[in-house]
Amino acid sequence: MAAKFIKLFLYVQKSNLKTAFLNLSDALVNVLMMMLNNFSYIFMWWILFQNKGSINGWNFGDMALLFAVANISFATYALFMRGLETLPEYIDSGGLDNFLVMPRSELMLIAFSESSFANWGDYLTGFIMYFFSGHIGWTSFGLLILVTILASVLLFAIRLLASSLAFFINDSQRLGDNFFIAVITFASQPSSIYTGWYKVISLTIVPAGFLVYYPVEVIRAFSWTNLLCLLGGVAIFLALSLLVWRQGLKHYSSGNRFGVR
Amino acid sequence: MDDIIQVSRLTKKFNIRQNSSFIKSLFSPEGKTLTAVNNISFKIKKGERVAFIGPNGAGKSTTIKMLSSISYPTSGTALVNGLVPWENRKKLAYDIGTVFGQRSQLWYNLPVQDSFFLMGKIYNVDEIPFKRRLSKLVRLFEIRDLLVRPVRALSLGQRMRCEIVASLLHRPQVLFLDEPTIGLDVTAKEIIRGLIRRQALEEDTTLLLTSHDTDDMEKVCDRVIIINRGKLIFDDSITALRDSFLRKKYIEITTDSGQKIKMVVNTAITPAKKAVDELIRQYHVTDLTIENPPMEEIIKEIYARE
Repeated sequence: MAAKFIKLFLYVQKSNLKTAFLNLSDALVNVLMMMLNNFSYIFMWWILFQNKGSINGWNFGDMALLFAVANISFATYALFMRGLETLPEYIDSGGLDNFLVMPRSELMLIAFSESSFANWGDYLTGFIMYFFSGHIGWTSFGLLILVTILASVLLFAIRLLASSLAFFINDSQRLGDNFFIAVITFASQPSSIYTGWYKVISLTIVPAGFLVYYPVEVIRAFSWTNLLCLLGGVAIFLALSLLVWRQGLKHYSSGNRFGVR
Repeated sequence: MDDIIQVSRLTKKFNIRQNSSFIKSLFSPEGKTLTAVNNISFKIKKGERVAFIGPNGAGKSTTIKMLSSISYPTSGTALVNGLVPWENRKKLAYDIGTVFGQRSQLWYNLPVQDSFFLMGKIYNVDEIPFKRRLSKLVRLFEIRDLLVRPVRALSLGQRMRCEIVASLLHRPQVLFLDEPTIGLDVTAKEIIRGLIRRQALEEDTTLLLTSHDTDDMEKVCDRVIIINRGKLIFDDSITALRDSFLRKKYIEITTDSGQKIKMVVNTAITPAKKAVDELIRQYHVTDLTIENPPMEEIIKEIYARE
């Protein structure tokens, strides 16, 4: 079962790469532009930390770790699960039908169906920033891989939750996109500012806290409590998103818009 | 022969929001219930080729979607190859193939053969049987030259041939075709109809084909079910339908002066050939078409006889 899943996953990724390589120069320029975009944002924070020194005990090294976690987890999501962003359109147009009549998990097939090659630039940014974080070591690298996998599962859950709104609300694409962008924006701030109500919001309505706060804390100062909080948060959001998705499927009435995939 | 599809009192209702203002719709949503499929029952034997015909909005696609496990019914039951579709979606997927004329299951930018190989992986078909199967279908549907072309570079007719091949790769016992000739020109329609029929006869595939084009059913199927406004109004052989309701032929000619002349001929009284001969004798005919009565006309006549 697992072997067949991996085989299918690799085959789909091979097809996605093949699509990206149809225009290799475009794909590589996109990767470079993505990195340029990331580093211009990071540069702004670097200047800020040069002037301020630290924010609530956070220095630029901690911020670099946040960028590493955010970029690597987002790249994992964007390269392997980005199809979820087209889900509202599939629901709206009836394109979901094609996935529902297949013998594999429709969610897996939808998630794998699109990949954004430019986000390899996020991977490169993430790993470069890790080396600037001052938390280098085999243990911390292992923890980085673990927490970014968990964070990308959380991104999957958040996007699924946002996209599943299309089952219940007409024209929900923009609403879902805005919610997702809000989470990413929250996740791009230093985690040390998460206090009081801001922290409550970042762990509930806009769960950016589970996306960067706990992952970064697990690497900065490992504690089982932080790791369990991260695991619990991801599990709750994943369960919630799957519940909304399943309810939505029962609601699904299928459309008949003309077009191709 | 066993019934491979059994449908009993199947009903599907949709709730449609009717509030004119957004604020009002949030607090007191007013709705209307639309019955898309209304209490229909029928059985289809293994290997039968059945046309599911009706005008736009009759409930054809909604029925196919319930039978192919895409949507849930409001009430009623159905069995496809012994399985309740909406309860056994993944299991049933191995037994059925689906082709939706309005949308593609192929990867838009990739060569056709890449989509086929991906389908093979999704349906867990082992490599050697898969290659054998693909080679047979490529020959049957005459698509060898299309395999290396990206899907976006195919004409609608070529794409439809590839869509049908993709849906047959895992050897389904039942093939659901939802408007497979929609948007195609006359020649492409003829080719697709011929290929579908040839494949079904060769592999004893059960077909359920929806269309609002009466020619699709005549060329491909041997039985016809007509639904209108969600209700089943006719279920018999194509021959019975032809004898009862397809006697009228619509003939249209264009003369050398550009004048268009239309006439309706009842072939039970005047053979079509005789009518055409008479038209050719009287006018300088530059173009000529003969068509079956439109679906709406047939339905009107069915109701009139009831």
